[in-house]
Order: sequence, then C-alpha cells, then structure tokens
Amino acid sequence: MDSKEEKVKIITEEFVENDEDADVGRKKKTSKTQRQKGKKQLCTAGPEEMVSGKPHGGSQQGPAQEDPDPDTHLLSIPAQRGPRSLPPLPSASRTGFAEFSMRERMREKLKAARSKAESALLQEIPTPRPRRLRSPGEKELETEFGAEPGKETKRTAQDNDSQSYSRVKFRDCVRKVKSKPPPPPGFPSAEEAYNFFTFTFDPEPEELEEKPKAKSRERANQEEAEGEEEEPPVQGDEEELLNGRNEEDFLLGLDHGAEDFLVMRPAYYESVHVQLQKERELLFIPSRLTVPTSKKLPENMQPRFLEDEGLYIGTRPKVPRATQNIMENRLLVQEPDRRWFGDDGRILALPNPIRPSPSRPPALTQEQDIHAELETLYKKAVRYVQRTQHMIGSGDFPENFQLDIDISGLIFTHHPCFSREHVLAAKLAQLYDQYLARSQRNKAQFLTDKLQALRNAVQMGLDPEKSHSSVDITPKAINEYKSEIRETRKLRDAEQETDRTLLKTIIKVWKEMKSLREFQRFTNTPLKLVLRKEKVDQKADEEAYETEIQTEISELLEEHSEEYEQKMEEYRTEYQQWKAWKKAQRAKKKKKKQAAEEHHDEEAEEPPPGDGPVKPIPPEPIRQAVLEQEVRERVARSRRRPGEPMLVPELSLAGNVTPNDQCPRVEVLRREDVKRRSVYLKVIFNDKEVSRTEGRPLGADFRVHFGQIFSLQIVNWPESLMLQVYETVGHSGTTLLAEVFLPIPETTVVTGRAPIEEVEFSSNQHVALDHEGVGSGVPLSFEADGSNQLILMTSGKVSHSVAWAVGENGTPLIPPLSQQNTGFRSALKRADAISSIGTSGLTDMKKLATWAAESKLDPNDPSNAPLMQLISVATSGKSYVPEFFRLEQLQREFDFVSDEELNRAKRFRLLCLRSQEVPEFRNYKPIPAYDREIMDKVFQDYEKRLRDRNVIETKDHIDSHRAVVAKYLQQVRESVLNRFLVAKHHFLLTDLVIEEEVPNISILGLSLFKLAEQKRPLRPRRKGRKKVTAQNLSDGDIKLLVNIIRAYDIPVRRPTTSKFQQPSRSSRTFRERHAASPTTHSPTHSADYPLGQVLVRPFVEVSFQRTICHTTTAEGPNPSWNEELELPFRAPNGDYSTTSLQSVKDDVFINIFDEVLFDVLEDDRERGSGIHTRIERHWLGCVKIPFSTIYCQARIDGTFKIDIPPVLLGYSKERSVLAERGFEPVRSLSEGSYITLFVTIEPQLVPGESVREKFDSQEDEKLLQATEKFQAECAFKFPNRQCLTTVIDISGKTVFVTRYLKPLNPPQELLNAYPNNPQATAELVARYVSLIPFLPDAVSFAGVCDLWSTSDQFLDLLAGDEEEHAVLLCNYFLSLGKKAWLVMGNAIPEGPTAYVLTREQSHYLIWNPCSGHFYGQFDTFCPLKSVGCLIGPDNIWFNIQRYDSPLRINFDVTKPKLWKSFFSRSLPYPGLSSVQPEELVYQRTDKAAAAELQDRIEKILKEKVMDWRPRHLTRWNRYCTSTLRHFLPLLESSRGEEVEEDHRAELLKQLGDYRFSGFPLHMPYSELKPLIEAVYSTGVHNIDVPNVEFALAVYIHPYPKNVLSVWIYVASLIRNR
Amino acid sequence: MAEVHVIGQIVGATGFSESSLFCKWGVHTGAAWKLLSGVREGQTQVDTPQIGDMAYWSHPIDLHFATKGLQGWPRLHFQVWSQDSFGRCQLAGYGFCHVPSSPGTHQLDCPTWRPLGSWQEQLARAFVGGGPQLLHGDAIYSGADRYRLHTAAGGTVHLDLGLLLRHFDRYGVEC
Repeated sequence: MDSKEEKVKIITEEFVENDEDADVGRKKKTSKTQRQKGKKQLCTAGPEEMVSGKPHGGSQQGPAQEDPDPDTHLLSIPAQRGPRSLPPLPSASRTGFAEFSMRERMREKLKAARSKAESALLQEIPTPRPRRLRSPGEKELETEFGAEPGKETKRTAQDNDSQSYSRVKFRDCVRKVKSKPPPPPGFPSAEEAYNFFTFTFDPEPEELEEKPKAKSRERANQEEAEGEEEEPPVQGDEEELLNGRNEEDFLLGLDHGAEDFLVMRPAYYESVHVQLQKERELLFIPSRLTVPTSKKLPENMQPRFLEDEGLYIGTRPKVPRATQNIMENRLLVQEPDRRWFGDDGRILALPNPIRPSPSRPPALTQEQDIHAELETLYKKAVRYVQRTQHMIGSGDFPENFQLDIDISGLIFTHHPCFSREHVLAAKLAQLYDQYLARSQRNKAQFLTDKLQALRNAVQMGLDPEKSHSSVDITPKAINEYKSEIRETRKLRDAEQETDRTLLKTIIKVWKEMKSLREFQRFTNTPLKLVLRKEKVDQKADEEAYETEIQTEISELLEEHSEEYEQKMEEYRTEYQQWKAWKKAQRAKKKKKKQAAEEHHDEEAEEPPPGDGPVKPIPPEPIRQAVLEQEVRERVARSRRRPGEPMLVPELSLAGNVTPNDQCPRVEVLRREDVKRRSVYLKVIFNDKEVSRTEGRPLGADFRVHFGQIFSLQIVNWPESLMLQVYETVGHSGTTLLAEVFLPIPETTVVTGRAPIEEVEFSSNQHVALDHEGVGSGVPLSFEADGSNQLILMTSGKVSHSVAWAVGENGTPLIPPLSQQNTGFRSALKRADAISSIGTSGLTDMKKLATWAAESKLDPNDPSNAPLMQLISVATSGKSYVPEFFRLEQLQREFDFVSDEELNRAKRFRLLCLRSQEVPEFRNYKPIPAYDREIMDKVFQDYEKRLRDRNVIETKDHIDSHRAVVAKYLQQVRESVLNRFLVAKHHFLLTDLVIEEEVPNISILGLSLFKLAEQKRPLRPRRKGRKKVTAQNLSDGDIKLLVNIIRAYDIPVRRPTTSKFQQPSRSSRTFRERHAASPTTHSPTHSADYPLGQVLVRPFVEVSFQRTICHTTTAEGPNPSWNEELELPFRAPNGDYSTTSLQSVKDDVFINIFDEVLFDVLEDDRERGSGIHTRIERHWLGCVKIPFSTIYCQARIDGTFKIDIPPVLLGYSKERSVLAERGFEPVRSLSEGSYITLFVTIEPQLVPGESVREKFDSQEDEKLLQATEKFQAECAFKFPNRQCLTTVIDISGKTVFVTRYLKPLNPPQELLNAYPNNPQATAELVARYVSLIPFLPDAVSFAGVCDLWSTSDQFLDLLAGDEEEHAVLLCNYFLSLGKKAWLVMGNAIPEGPTAYVLTREQSHYLIWNPCSGHFYGQFDTFCPLKSVGCLIGPDNIWFNIQRYDSPLRINFDVTKPKLWKSFFSRSLPYPGLSSVQPEELVYQRTDKAAAAELQDRIEKILKEKVMDWRPRHLTRWNRYCTSTLRHFLPLLESSRGEEVEEDHRAELLKQLGDYRFSGFPLHMPYSELKPLIEAVYSTGVHNIDVPNVEFALAVYIHPYPKNVLSVWIYVASLIRNR
Repeated sequence: MAEVHVIGQIVGATGFSESSLFCKWGVHTGAAWKLLSGVREGQTQVDTPQIGDMAYWSHPIDLHFATKGLQGWPRLHFQVWSQDSFGRCQLAGYGFCHVPSSPGTHQLDCPTWRPLGSWQEQLARAFVGGGPQLLHGDAIYSGADRYRLHTAAGGTVHLDLGLLLRHFDRYGVEC
C-alpha cells in the first residue's frame, strides 16, 4: 500500500497543474481513506451495529444504496465465494458446469435486465428520498465520467480502465433493476450476504485488494467475461468511491453549473525557493567537504597506510582535492558498501597489483617457445667416459677459454727516420689532438655557464623580493655560493688560459713547419693547418667583455673588502694587545728603574726590547683602480680580445708531398730507408710468445696497419699480456723496439663490446742516421745555432682491443674466477663484486650511494630496485649479489635462529671442518653432542693459522727471507693439496674390487709343486709381513723397531796430554787403567797405554719423538750390540691415515755415545774397600733417519756412515793402527765410522701411493707417448729399477726431465776460491749445494707427489729434496765443464733418490748432493746402492745391465747394450728447450744480518740449554765461549778437516784446568727448530756434575743467495781440581 | 639449529623397461640448510639384475644437516640411467622425492619420468638409443612450470631412509 501511495503522490505532483484533477485525486484519496475507516468501523462494530449504525457517519450509505449491493453480490457470491476464500484456486480451470450454465443464465438475464432497465429508466419518476434524488446526479456524474474517459484512464493508470466505467454503468442499471424484485427464496437476503461478505473478508483487506488485481491482470485477456464477477471487492470499492463522491457533491451543493467545472486560477508559479526545496528533495548534491576517514572505513578499523609499512605505492593520478571529496561523498551515499575505498580510507586510484585470478599462459604446442629451463636436448647414447684422468690445473673446467686480441695498428709518434718536418708534424698532430679533446670537453664554456648560474643564484638570494620561490637560500648558502664563484672563476681563468696558449702553440708550430718547408724546399708530410676565422659581433662582444670584467671587479672588490674588514679586525685586536703590552712594559720599566736604584746589578737582565709583540701595521685598504688593472691584465692574457675573430684551427692531410725526384739526396735516402723498414708485433702471453703479426712495411706517414685478430686459447687466468714491437731493417736483423703491456680485460668485456684502445710505448734505443732522419735518442735542434736542443726517443701508439671471446651458446669464454686463486696470486685477485653484477663502468660506489641518498630515491620503487641493490651491496661490502628473484622471500620470518647463531655453533663448525678435512681437524674423532662441551681453544690454532696466512711472522724464522719462503711454501703446499684433494677421492676399479685371478694352468702347477716343498727349508725365505691399513689404528699400536747390529771404526779415546795428567791424580790413574790406545798422531804417549786396554766403550741411544732407548755398552772401536730397541710411535692428532703418516716430520736420532767412568773417590784410603765412580757419556756421533723414509721404505737395512763432528776432543780414529796390522784394507780407505742398522715399523704399514693422475703438459704429444712407451718397456724388463722420464713441475705440469739439466753458473765467489784447483772447486760447489736445506717433498706434499722445482726456484725457496739438490749440482758441474749426469737410483737411507755422477779423467765420481760428499765408483761405503737410470741434458739412459750396484756396472753410456737410451736414431733428440733460467743471479748475503742472526741463535740456544736443565744451575764459561767462537770460522774455512790438532793444542793451552768435552755441529740453516733438536740430541746438557760449566758458540758463514752454514760449538767444562 | 640425520640407502629400482640401470642422485636443500658432513650427490654402480627385474644398488646415503628453518626441506633427486650392451648410457628417468619429515625409518618409492621429445626423437630413441634430456637438471626438483613437458613414465626408485631429528622441539616443531 505504501508504494502505491508513493506512486500516487508522485503522480499527483506530476499533474499538479491540473487543479481539478488534483482535486479529484484528493477527493478520491479522502474518500478512500474514509472508506477504509468505514470498513474498519464495520469490522469492529459487527453486523448488528452495521445495521443500526447505518444513518450515522460521514460516509453514510443509504439503505436503498445498500439494498442493491447485496443483489449484485447475490448473483455472484455463490459462484465466487468458494474459490475466493480458498486463495490459490484458479477459477479458469475449475469452472464447473454449474457455474458455466449459471453464467449463461446470467448473461441472458443481463440482456433481459438491460432492456428492462432502459425502459425502467425512462419510466422512472424521481422520488423524494435522498436516494432517489441522488440518482440523477449520479447519472450525470456517470456521464461526466464517460465524457472524459481519457482523463479517467490517465488518472488511474493502474486501474481497470474503461471496463470499470462500463461496468459501473452496468452496475447501476443492474442495481436499478435488481432493487425492485425481492430476493428469491432460497437465496440469502442482501443483508445477510453483505454481512457474510464483510465479515469474512474484512480482516485482510489488503490482501484482498492486491490479489484479485494481480489475478485480474493475469487473466485480463482470457476472462473478460468472468472479470466482471471476479472483482467484487474492487467493484465494491469503486462503488463506495462513487458513492462517496456522490455524497460529497450532494453535501457541497446540489446545483452543478459550468462553474463547477471551470475554476479560475492564477498562473502557476513556484518560487525559486520552493523550487530549490523541491529540487533538494529530488536531487542529490554531494558536498565538497572532506569526508572523515572513519566514515569511509568499516567500523572499528584504523586506516592502514601501506607506504608507512614500507611497501611501495605508485604515484596516484593528480585529482583536485575537491573533486575527490565530491566523489567520496557521492560514493558513500550511492554505494554504501565502501568497496571503493582502500585500506587507507582513500579512493582506490591505482590498479591493484594483485591479479584476482591466477593466470597461466595457454599450453603451447611442443615446438614453440619452450621454457629455457625445461629445454630438452636429444643426446646420443654415448659410451661412458672413464674419468680416471683427472686433469690437474684445469679442474672442473675442461673447456678452453679464449682471449681475442685485436691489433689494429701502430702509429709512431717518433721514429729515427723522422725528418725534422715529421717531428714538427707529430708535434702539431699531438697538439691538435689535444685541442680537439679540449674543445670537445669545452671546460671553459662549462665553467663560464656555471659561474653565470652561481651569480644568478647569489643575486636571487640577495634580493629578498625575488627569492620568493627559494625560501631556503640562507646567508650561509650565499656564502658558499660566493666561495664557489671564486673557485669556479679561478678554474675558468686557468682553462681559458690554457686554451689560448694551446692555440698559440699550434700556430707557432705550424709557422715553424711552414718556415722549415720553405727552407728545405720540399714537404714530407701532407699536414696542413687552416685557421678558420669566425666573425663575431664586435659590439655585443665588447659589451659582454666589459660586463664580465665589471662583475669580476665588483666581486673582487667585495671579496677584498671582506678580507680587509677581517684584517682590520685582527689588526685592532692585535693593536689592543700591543698597547696593553706596551703599557705593561712601561710599568715594568718604571718598576725596574726603581729597582735599579736599589740593585744596580740587575740592570743587565732587562729583556731586550724586541721580545714583545711588534707594533702591528694597519692593513692597506684596496684601491679599485689597482684591482681593475690586475683584472684587465689577466683577462687580456687569458681571453680573446673583444672583436677579435675566433680562431678555429683545422688540420687536414690535404697537402702535397714533394715527389722523390725533386728532393735532395739526403731526403731521398731517408725515404728509401723508411721503405726498407718493416714492423711486426709479437704477442707475449704469460711471458711466452704465442703469436706474432705479419711484418708490415712502415708507411711514409709512419703508420702501420695490422688489422689482425689473435684468438688465444687459454686455460688459466692470464697473468700478463704484452706486445713486443719489432722492427726489421731491410734483410738484416730485427730489433726489439719496445714492449707494450696490455691490461687484461675485465670479465665483462667480451668480443664486440671492447673498444679500440691506444697504448703508448717508447723505446730507449739510440739511433743516429746519416741521412735526413733525425734519429732517436740523439739531440736535435731546430735553431740555426744548435741551441734549444731536444732529445726525442722512439715512441708510438698501438691501437688494439682485448676482449674475451664469446662461445657458441653466447657464454663468454672466461676462466672462472676461482681459477685465478691459484698459487701466490690468490691473495691478489679477489672476485670483484661489481664486475659480477655486470656494471664495469661504475667505480665509485660511495659516490653513487651518496647521490642516491641525496636525491631521495624511493627505495621501494621497483624501478629503482637494481640500483638500490647495487648500492646496498657496495656500501655494506658484501660480495654476493643475487640478481634473481628470491623464492623464499619470507625465509627469515620462519627461521629458528639467525645465521650468525648458526655459524657460531661450535659443534656444527667442528663437524664441518672435520668433514672438509681441514688439517687441524682431520680425523678428529669424537665431537661432543653439545656446544657447551666444546672448548673454545679447539679452534684457536685453526683461527690463528687463518689469521696468519698473510702475516709473515719473523718470530719463528729469525731471518725474514726464510720467513717469506716458509710462507710461500705453505701457500704452494696448500694450493697443491687442494688440487689433489679431489683427485684423491677418485678410485680405480682395482681400488674397490679385488678380483681373484682365474687360476690358470701355471698357477695350478705351482701350487702342486708347493705340495712337494720342504716343510722346513734349510734356507728359509723371508715371508712378507701382513700389511696393515692405517685407518683402524690408535696410539700405541705402532712401534718403531730399531735393530742395532754393530758399528765399525768408532773413534777411540785419546790419551790425555801431560797437562791433563798433572792436576788430577784420580783422573790420571783412571786413565791409566782405561784410557785409549796409542795412536800415530801422538806417538809420544803411545808407550803409556798398553795394548788391549779398552779404547772406547760405546753404546747407542735411539731417540724418537722424545722417547729414548739405549743399548748396553759394548767395548772397543768395532762393537757389536745386536740389540733390538722398541720405540712407540705416536701420530700427530692421533691421525693414522696415510697422508698424515707421510707428513710426520720427526727424525729418528741414533746417537753413539762413549760411556766414561770417572773415579770420584776423594780419598785414596777408601780405594781398597769401595768403588765410587761416576758415569759420563760423551757423544761421538749420530745417524739421523727421517721417519718418512722409514715409512716409505717399510724397512731400512744397511750400514750407515755415522755423522761424526769434525772435532771430537779427546777422541781420534785408530785407522793407522788397523792399517799397520793390515786388517781389512778396504775399510781403511773410508774415513768415517759406520753403523749397521735395521729399522722397521711394526706392524708394517701400507705406504701411501703417489697420485697416479695424469697431469696436463705442454710437451709434445708424441714425446709423451714415447715416454710412456719407454717407461713401460723399462718397467717390463727391470721392474725394480727406477726409470724417470717426466716429472711434475711446481705448477703441476708434466715436464720432460732433461729440460731441467742445463749448465748454470755457480756463484762467482766459489769459483774464485780455488782458481787453479778444479777438484777443490767442485767440492766447494758440492758443499754449497749441500748447505741448502733439505726438505723432502713427501713431507711438504704429503701423499701427493714429487714436484721438481727449477734451480732458480730452488734457490729462491732455499728448500728442496734430493732431486733439486742433484739437479743444481749437476748443472753446476756442467757449467764447470765436467761431464755430469743425474743418477736415479736407490740409496741408503733415502731410498729412491737422485745422485750426481761425474766423469773425471779416468774414473767416475758419485756425489751425494745433500751431504756434499763424493765417492769413487768402487767405494764400498757409497750410499748409492743401485742405479736405475742416468739423465743427461739431452738424453736418458736406462740401465739394462745385469747388475745395478754402482760397483759392478759400467757407466759408459755409449754402449747401447748396457744402456738403453731414450733418444735414439729412431727418435732423435728434438732439441728441447730448458725450463731453467738463462743464468742464475746471486745476491751477496748481508753479512750484518748473518751476524745478527748468529747472535740471536746463540741467545736462544743458551736459553734452551738452561730450560733443559731446570734443576741445575747453568753456568756459562765466557772465556771458553770466546775461544770457541774464534775457532769456528777456521772450521768453516777448512770445511771441518785437518784442524783438529791445532785446535786441540790451542784449547789445551787456554783451558788447561778444565776437563773439556764438546764438539762443533755443522748444519745448513733452514729454521731454528732443527738446530735446537740437534743440540738437544747431543745430550751435552745432561751432565749434572755440580761444578760443570758450559760453553756455546754459534757461527754463521753466509754464502751467496742467503745460503747459510751454521756452526754450533757446544761444550761442557769441568774444572779439574 | 636443529639437526637432521638422513641415513639410509637407495635400494634399487623397478619397473624400468631397460635393464642395467644406474642412478645419479643428489640432495637439494633450501638456503637455511647447511650440510655438516656427508656427500650431497653421488652415483651408484650399474646393476644388471639376473633374477627378477629389480635393479639393486644398495647405495648408502649418510647426510648430516643443520638447519635454521623448515623451508627448503631436503629433497632427493634422481636420474636413472641405463647402460646398453655397447656400454652406452641413456636416460631412463628423472624423479625426486622429499626426505620424510618424521623421524624413524621410511621406505620411499620415487616414481620417475623422462621427457618424451618429438616423434623423430622417440623413433631415434627406440632404434639408436639416446634420448632427450633436460638441459637444466634442476628442473627435476624445482617448481618450474613443467606442464610444457611431454613425458613418459619411467620406473620407480626405492629408498630406505632413516631419519633422526634433533632439537626441533626446541623451536616448536613437534615431531
């Protein structure tokens, strides 16, 4: 009903101009409401009241009026009621036959009634009752209705139109007809029907009204006939309405005239106000006011600003604020669900970056555009390549890398063949280039502009009215501007001046050239300079000039006045001070005067008057005129004068060169000379020539065009790249002009992107030519008088470009950065963070960062992302920059712990280090389960090592050079080890699978034989012990067994001289009983000692890892002990792996002592009843065997020379005695003492195998094949003999061994020592070589391989093993003119080793390079036991004789039956170049440093000795020490021979009162530790006699190249009573 | 700082049409993971089954990880190759599986696939061997859009893995 009403309302307004209609409408409305009221009353009053209340109420219905109603209802009700009361019954389908017939009947009746009614209407007579009265009016009304059906329809658009009208009419008729006949019997009376009707329907009038309407509309078409009956309520309504109207009309007045229909009204006007009011009702105008944010957001929501949260929000489109507000207001009203507002309460203005629905590109067909990652590649089935050959050096990058060097040309800026004109031309060209460069930069203009801008800025700042826009120009800024103006002005002036001078010089040179051309009457160069004048507007120019000057002057003035002010200020203060001072002075003076009167003598002390501050001079004010003068002068100097045309020089090559026939002879000669010359370039890569350009003739313009591109296939990161410029003159030789170093390109520079660059070079060669050519390095003058000389050197420019090549798939062929980190370059080359990003141009990241900070870049803007990343990386210093999108972006949010904490975890660190096999933690077995159980100190060593890697510590190494070398060695070791770490994890099939050989007939036969074997053979063969792999061993499992069998030729005690005898009776008597045998050296005393007395009581002490065992004491110089000593072995860190065992550096010291008994009985009376002796032991000598040798050899069996000190006081050899007896003459030949030993390890350990990897090589492939073949053949014939063809050099490359042998000069110093004695020289050289410390490769490169360093490397490192010593010695011998070979063989105790063989006139000598000793070929005690092969500088000979002992073989290598040579007729020697340097350079060792070192060693050793005697007082005998120190140089000069007697005599003379035992030790110097070890092993400190004194002297003899020979004299003295 | 031990073996493979199989395997982890010890990748021997069609490798896996987060839980990826009678190798399947996240022993089956290629390639593969392979091996386990690939199913790789987790409870991960 509401909506209906509303509609009605609107309609009323629409038709508001029609007053009548409105009235009618209103009437209708009111009637309706009245009717409703009535109805309500009806419903509440009930039927009785209804009847009784008929006459009252405004809407009274007359009884007559009521009467006909029931009639109409009567007709319809029986049929209608049923379906009506049951709401959903559709009547159409259910119309029963009865109904139908009834309708038929009704129709008939209606027809009849109509005709009757018409006739009745005609006959009707008006009745006095109001009902009767009303009827005409009603009728009229009806006509009125009928007259305007259009209006009616319009008014009730929704009502049933004319139908209702006709109906109404019809009803009236019906009423009239029906009112008359009484109700037929059986039908309810009208009242009853009405009551029934109202009673049943009134409670739901609305429903009633709507439903039928809807229905009626539905059925409008189908059931027109039924429609009439179907709408009784509406009908009723209409009727009532009509009735109401009638009644009203009736009440208002009965006369209906024209005025009733026409109404005079004023012209309709609505005031604007009203209109607005109405509009306001109708229209909605959103306000312009800002909407509070809370309205725009859902309740209880805070606005959220994403930008504050750090997210990037793009810039919103510019919309005026008001517009925005309007929009917001409108949206708030129109779309109340707020979906137009973002989280921040503003209208959504930017596209949402998040896609609402996932998108995915359509599935493509296979062929096109497959994702790079998913690309598949058809690969052929290939044979699996056995990757056993691990290439060293190339690592995992087997492909080659390529460097393209494009050499486009060469220009000489000076050349000897330059004529004078050329010189000038070159100069001119250079100047012109400079000019071009300058004019391109146009710095002066730039600075002028800048100046202008600054001036403007200052102007703006000074005028407050103008500076409206830039409020922030503070006085401070202005000051800054001013100072900047000053700076800029200075710069600009300087620039302008240089520009001008440059121009002047160009012109000058050109003039010189012109005059020269005129003078010589020919031209050589096509150069031509044209000066182009550019006209300028004189007036404007002058104006500009003048204003410029004026501004400058004013600025200067200002400046100066400021300065003046300042100075004035200063002056004032100074003046004040001065004044005060003056006053004080005066006062003082006065006082003084008074004082002087009292004390006259003080007058002299009056301070001189000059002491006080000088009276300041007021600064001079500046005068404008002077200033102006200055400015004008300067400007005139540096600037173009106003009106002067601008000069633009243009250099062209348009000039003509005078042809040859018009030139003088000298010039023609010069030109011919030029023609004969040609130039080529050599490309030197890593100091090796890799290619060279073609020779190109030198053009007349001294330009050479090459245009060649060299592609270098390289494997390693290049170290140097150099071009050598060579010049060829005619057919004669070439000369090296210059070397040009090219920079190695950055990794981002690839072919195609590299610009052509010019590199200048110059040479220092001096050339003077006999023709016009000016030569090079020769003074030359252009003046007639020869003054003003200048010397020009050959110079030029090479234009080139170097770039990395690009591979087929577009990847640059650049060696990976990791490869740079090899060897000693590791520290230098670091991965460049910036270059890894790919921006090589950016250099100053700091600047970039500050710029970014200043310009306030939004760090969240995606477009700035790469830049920001770059900056953050550069400033934070992290090296790793991911350019990729990180998938696990939120990783950090979910982390348990931070990275730092993870890295801090000690347990994890320990685990990692262990698994990385870091030396300190390798085989670190139990790792605690908790961090707290791990001590911090576990890492200390490791961290220290890491820290010290680049710090050279001199503490351990005393002298700095060796410290550096030690560091270097360490680094080489590390890099080599790292390289081998991978290789070590490669296994061969045989390493993993033990395949039992399938028994064949021979094996079966042998095993059958075995059955018949003796059970206990007479001569049992030694059975191999079972080898133990090292892994499952622990401390105490391994023992070192030393079997000491016997010794020969032990020095025997010498009788003491008379001097000794006298002071001490007891010792004398003792000696008489026990002391040594007579010797030839002291025949005088021989008589004192009868034969058969004990000469010496030696015993052997073996010390290893500070464990000491000793044998029983035997007697005599040739004792036999035959004892087995067992020493435990402990591996470092408890690591018993092969590599660790190999790197054990400990030595086994086998010391031979003499046990001396001293009678200490004080009292002779007790001699009969007791023995009271003290045992003293005197060191006689030692044998030192490195553990690594024992480990590698498994057992050491043989006779060794005992290392006996050159001076053994109190002992001598008894060789002559033996010789006299004719006993064993062979042995007497030897000079030393010997000991027979058998050393082994129990259980036997598997020695580490050397790495069987192939190394890459630069040798010829054929040669390598030949070596393999040769070695295979040799190994087949004599598997035990060592055959060596290729070795590995220090950079891990395979090198043919003969390349190491080449005559090399020994130090001149050594050669000068014995100019006439080649043998002595040879010995001295051998000694020199032996003084270079020995460091076995197996130790330095544990479990890796044998590396050979060249002699210069060896001398630089000052450490090496047998091979290096042997190579150096052999090279020295070769240079001395000897025939020398390297002998590869087995020796005792070294095992496989290298010796040197030389051929003297008739015999061969075998030299031990490590000890410097030499042996004849037939020396029994020669440690070399077998010879495998000989290596000469040009060939290798393998021993194919039956025996391999040097005693039994023939060293004549020319006999092919005895020696199989590598190079033969079938494979001739290809002339291999040597890897050795041309020449060895020796520096003299610093004597002072040596002396200093000597002192330090002495001090340290003394401290050590004291340390070793913690419970005793250690006294040092200074006197003895100085004597010993004096004596050591003698020992060095005589190399420890033939000084014994003199020394003894001297010592006796000086230390007569002491019993003396001591000896000099001699060692090469490497580091301190071995020295200490050696002193310790002598056991001198072990004497615990209370009154013992010690003496220790150190002497270092420096040899060239820092080779130091160390002598340590250590002695103990006991004062004889 | 939780720790994970992965101890187990690659037992073998079944269901491949080829015999003589071997397997290249590797472990891929996220950035939060740190390998404390063990080898990340390896290759098994070639196994030619005599009886049945299961190739047994029994290749040990022993890894010890430390992790600071759960992201990038380790996954094993495999490439199964077959060796033919000429000793040539060709791809038989790619596959990956996550290491289980609960402690205890687990028996895993990892199905594999291999790229199919064009019909020419399929033909070539059938007759002369070889076959298309992924250019980038990380596509095996990475989440790249693999829907473009046309693949054929390979066999299954069987794994026995034992998991030991440590200290996960300390960070609120119950297992």
